[in-house]
Amino acid sequence: MTDTEAITETEQGNSDRLLDIVNLSSGYSGVAVIRDINMHVSPGEVVALLGPNGAGKTTTLLTSSGLLKPLEGSIQVLGESTNFGAPHRTARRGLAHVPEDRSLFFGLTVAENLRLGLRGKRKEQAAGYEAALDLLPALRPLMNRRSGLLSGGEQQMLAMARALVSNPKMLLVDEMSLGLAPIIVERLLPIVRDIANETGAGVLIVEQHVHLALEVADRGYVMSHGEIVLEGTAADLMERQDLLEASYLGGDIEEAE
Amino acid sequence: MSNILETKGLTVTFGGLNACDKVDLIVPEGKFVGLIGPNGAGKTTFIDAITGYVPTSAGTAVFNGKDIGELKPHERAQHGLVRTFQSLELFEDLSVLDNLLVAGYQTRWYSFILDMLYMPRKDDAIEERIQWALKIMGLEDVAESMPSDLSHGRRKLVGVARALAAGPKLILLDEPAAGLDTAESQILGGHLREFLDHDMSVFLIDHDMGLVLSVCDYIYVLDFGKIIAEGTPQEIRESATVKKAYLGEEAGEIQAQAGQRMTSLQQDHAEIEDD
Amino acid sequence: MNQFIIALIAGVGTGSLYAMLGTGLVVAFRGSGVINLGHGAVAGYSAYVFNELRTSGDLFLPWFDIIPEWGVLQTLRISNIPTRIHVFDFEMYIGKPPLLPTFLISIGVSVLLGLMMHLLVFRPLRNAPVLGKVIGSVGVLLYLDSVIAVNFGGQNRSSSGFWIFRPDLEPVSNFLGLGGTIPRANFYMLLVAVLMGAFVFILYRYTRFGVSTRAADENEKGASLLGYSPQLIAGINWVFSSVLAGIAGIVFLHKTQPSLYATFVVGALGAALFGKLTSIPMTVLGGLIIGAMSSGGVSLATQDWWPGWLESEGVRTFMPLLVIILVLYFQGDKLPIRGTLSAGKQPAAPASRNVTVGVIAAMGFALILSNVFVSKWEAVLTTSILATLFMFSLIVIVGYLGQISLAQYSIAGFAAFMMIRFIGDGTLQRPDDYYVITGLGMPTILSFVCAVIAGTLLGLLIGLPALRIRGVQLAVVTISSVLAIEELLTKSRSLMGTGAASIQPTPSNPSWFGQYIGGFNKETFRTDYWKYSLFLIIITALVGAGVVNLRRGNTGRRFLAIRANERAAAAAGINVKNAKMLGFGISSAIASIAGVMLAYKIPAVQAENFAIFSGLGLLAFVYLGGITTGYGAVVGGMLVAGGMMPEFLGVHFGDVERGMINAVGAVGLIVNAIVTGGEGVALLQSNGLGKIPLRLLRRNPDEDEDSEANEEETVTEGASI
Repeated sequence: MTDTEAITETEQGNSDRLLDIVNLSSGYSGVAVIRDINMHVSPGEVVALLGPNGAGKTTTLLTSSGLLKPLEGSIQVLGESTNFGAPHRTARRGLAHVPEDRSLFFGLTVAENLRLGLRGKRKEQAAGYEAALDLLPALRPLMNRRSGLLSGGEQQMLAMARALVSNPKMLLVDEMSLGLAPIIVERLLPIVRDIANETGAGVLIVEQHVHLALEVADRGYVMSHGEIVLEGTAADLMERQDLLEASYLGGDIEEAE
Repeated sequence: MSNILETKGLTVTFGGLNACDKVDLIVPEGKFVGLIGPNGAGKTTFIDAITGYVPTSAGTAVFNGKDIGELKPHERAQHGLVRTFQSLELFEDLSVLDNLLVAGYQTRWYSFILDMLYMPRKDDAIEERIQWALKIMGLEDVAESMPSDLSHGRRKLVGVARALAAGPKLILLDEPAAGLDTAESQILGGHLREFLDHDMSVFLIDHDMGLVLSVCDYIYVLDFGKIIAEGTPQEIRESATVKKAYLGEEAGEIQAQAGQRMTSLQQDHAEIEDD
Repeated sequence: MNQFIIALIAGVGTGSLYAMLGTGLVVAFRGSGVINLGHGAVAGYSAYVFNELRTSGDLFLPWFDIIPEWGVLQTLRISNIPTRIHVFDFEMYIGKPPLLPTFLISIGVSVLLGLMMHLLVFRPLRNAPVLGKVIGSVGVLLYLDSVIAVNFGGQNRSSSGFWIFRPDLEPVSNFLGLGGTIPRANFYMLLVAVLMGAFVFILYRYTRFGVSTRAADENEKGASLLGYSPQLIAGINWVFSSVLAGIAGIVFLHKTQPSLYATFVVGALGAALFGKLTSIPMTVLGGLIIGAMSSGGVSLATQDWWPGWLESEGVRTFMPLLVIILVLYFQGDKLPIRGTLSAGKQPAAPASRNVTVGVIAAMGFALILSNVFVSKWEAVLTTSILATLFMFSLIVIVGYLGQISLAQYSIAGFAAFMMIRFIGDGTLQRPDDYYVITGLGMPTILSFVCAVIAGTLLGLLIGLPALRIRGVQLAVVTISSVLAIEELLTKSRSLMGTGAASIQPTPSNPSWFGQYIGGFNKETFRTDYWKYSLFLIIITALVGAGVVNLRRGNTGRRFLAIRANERAAAAAGINVKNAKMLGFGISSAIASIAGVMLAYKIPAVQAENFAIFSGLGLLAFVYLGGITTGYGAVVGGMLVAGGMMPEFLGVHFGDVERGMINAVGAVGLIVNAIVTGGEGVALLQSNGLGKIPLRLLRRNPDEDEDSEANEEETVTEGASI
């Protein structure tokens, strides 16, 4: 396959990568929204995917978990190509995706929502369950409440916890801060750092609060109009404020440099 | 000068949460008013409320001197309060031109008899308006195409053209620039103020600060359903509240700067056109 | 008073059946989001299988042998598909085959039906718009009913029951000191219904499978991101639902004939809607309430003070409809029916360009056919044209407006009976007529107009719910109205005249402008009079031209706008309610014209001429032809049972053959919904046949339309709060 050749030719020693996106183009109705994206996430790493609205961040995530079909290029999740059309198979291998709309089951209780996330042997299930609730203790008193009745922040916590109880090896989090007050965001975001540190999982977060995101991330990619216009370590990106600004404006990077 | 739209204490509640919280907002006749705010601030809910798509739990909305609280969505549209949708909502089975014709012509109870006999009614003023809408949105070459054959950006423009074809007194644009590429966005931005020359006022929602700051006469800022600031583009750009509560971070700052750039860009364009 | 209460309690038998079928409907709905209109027919098939095994020892598989017995195929040994397996040899058993194996085999057939429905119909339709899924379930209903007719002859059979489900058990007398008697088996059925409900309830409440079903029902994307395959969940629930239907069918067999099961879906729908399509306990309760209402209503109808024109059978059939309408009216907004506002991709509906040329060509062609063929073919030709005429009504309401009304053929029947009543003057129409119809004695043309107006008014009445509900809910209401219209109106002797309940003679001398235009040829005693053919061709051409022109004008554009997106239609200033009423009015007027024209053709009409499955068959064939274009009606008319195509192929009348034709139509309907999204043969042809393989390629291997839809939802939801 040309795709695999491309990988071996361009990227060496990438077998330990949890998420490896190579020359990916994807979009809706055959119209590319993102073009020629290269991106990877290694174990224990938190990677921030930044960029203005409509840049294609969500599309990248949806394609990674198999909800969208790639137009070109390839995605390796946990060492295997994503099964397009069968996101449940990718999920069972250890990919957890918290989508932008959170996709909670509002008719189900908090406990039932969490129960659906459980995977593996009974022991692993119990461990994942406890670990998740230790990270998000605010959920403990809410176990029998219908999730549709939770506040926005609680819903977001539940979405995170539901992803965490499955002991994911790779975690995708889309716009965790959507509709949340900044103070809650400041509390929630560091949790992804803890997850990466404690479980060795790879984390990819899409975030509109640039600075908060870079504070917890190891590396970052900045997208604009469907392309990656900037990448680097979080520290680098923080320092190069001018580059960051320019990429939010789109297309003026050379000028800024 | 009279106001085409005025809301007082408009409140929309979803499950105990105020998606719009006592919103007071005025669109003066012939003016271009913007509403900005972060994702999920309640901007679209506000448009839904004044066009009758979600019920309001308190407050009034007065359009063109008439309380429209009791009117159905289609009645509001017939009165000249016409909206676009963020998610397009085109009539996918109709050609671009047909999409506009549907909005352009109103029917009477006997129209179907004339239609069955194939005696179509033509109205020059409406035909002219439809042609203008196609032209200004750059859709003349695809008038006979189906919407599904167009790029996302042009589909978006069909949505705006359809609203224009309805002959609005006030057009409500819900994120018309979202999903447009840079070129399309500039085409749109360049034409938006022309709408004012055709007997209409414009109300624009967008989170592209650059676009909003460059085209609007007056701007409201919404966050968590509340109006937290209002003023001219200059005032909004400099407002400490806006910076702190909504822009907060550098990203907002950057977008504000983009707005300045776009304004100057547009002035350049205008000068070129004048030449 | 006691008698009335006893009647209410006696309704527990039928009520239990509604409860069991309703439970199965809810299971299938939660698993797949489909309201299966064929659920009653699934129960019916299992009941027939059970009955057949117990009487002849044969097992009939749910299909029939369609391979013709041509020499070539026989030498290749492709001569038949196995349909009949001889399971029990009666020599071996004294009396009847053993109960348990019989029961298990019948349930096995239910499992097979569930798998077939999932794999062959609803899984391929998973990304189809609401309309496509409803059509799929109509296809299932029509297919099973037709196969039952072919395999089991469709005759009434009764069963003496088995085990504790026997009509001859000693009845419970003086229940609760109320006097009267109630069949003992009724209580056993109640027990089964309650146990079934409790089992499903516990399953959904406490098992992981149940919780994941509820989760996938609510948010399919969320479930698949957590590692659950929505299609696997759907498949299991389909099988489960079919098994529940099978149990219900077998248990209830001693009370009724299996041929009636298909129509029991109406009561089941009432029960399921009472439970808002989610709550199992409420569904069971709803079924029991509907059963009690029907039984109690019939008891009231025997009282002296009861108005005679409301006949008891009408009251019985009206009760489920009443519950359905009430639930939809008051709770319609809260029902968890997926994707109701924006209907998704619909069959294309291009405007025709050369209407005049097309109409003249079609008329010319029809006239040539009518003169070329001998008398027998003329009757066949008018059958096709009548079908075409009726199909134009479906093109307006389903094709243009996107409202699935399954009751249009009943409106045709109502109008035909009304015309007879309006024209009736108390004289004997033909020497051998059994009944004399009294009425207003109107002239022919006036009675035609009045009947069309009456039919239109009825259509508007049926359309009223469409103002509040749409999509599958409307299909539910309209299919439920079919029986009520038939029993309450069409068969009502006080409303329609003495022959209404059995056979109603039509006017013997219908004349327009002094010309006799009846189909009955007074010289040859056949239904082949040429003036009738000519008259029918002219009427059909006028109606057809009107329907096609409608699409070319603003009215048609508005209809299509509503079909595509009601939200956006309102934003474009369209009064959606008025437009829907207009659509129902036009469609019902056309259906009424078709009904009256049919009554002109034949010497007597019966309510069965306009029965539910005849109407569904017509819907199937117009879909096959193309639901959105005039050509579709013409092609569809050719295909109907008794029409040009089947007669040319040498398939003649008779229940079995009609069943086969309808079954083929049903398969075609399903395949058409899957492959072309309902665009049908006519449109494919005008688009160039080459596109079919492309479509197949695009649809089958991937699910991008699904994820697209999901994505668009995400965008809207994210933005609206």
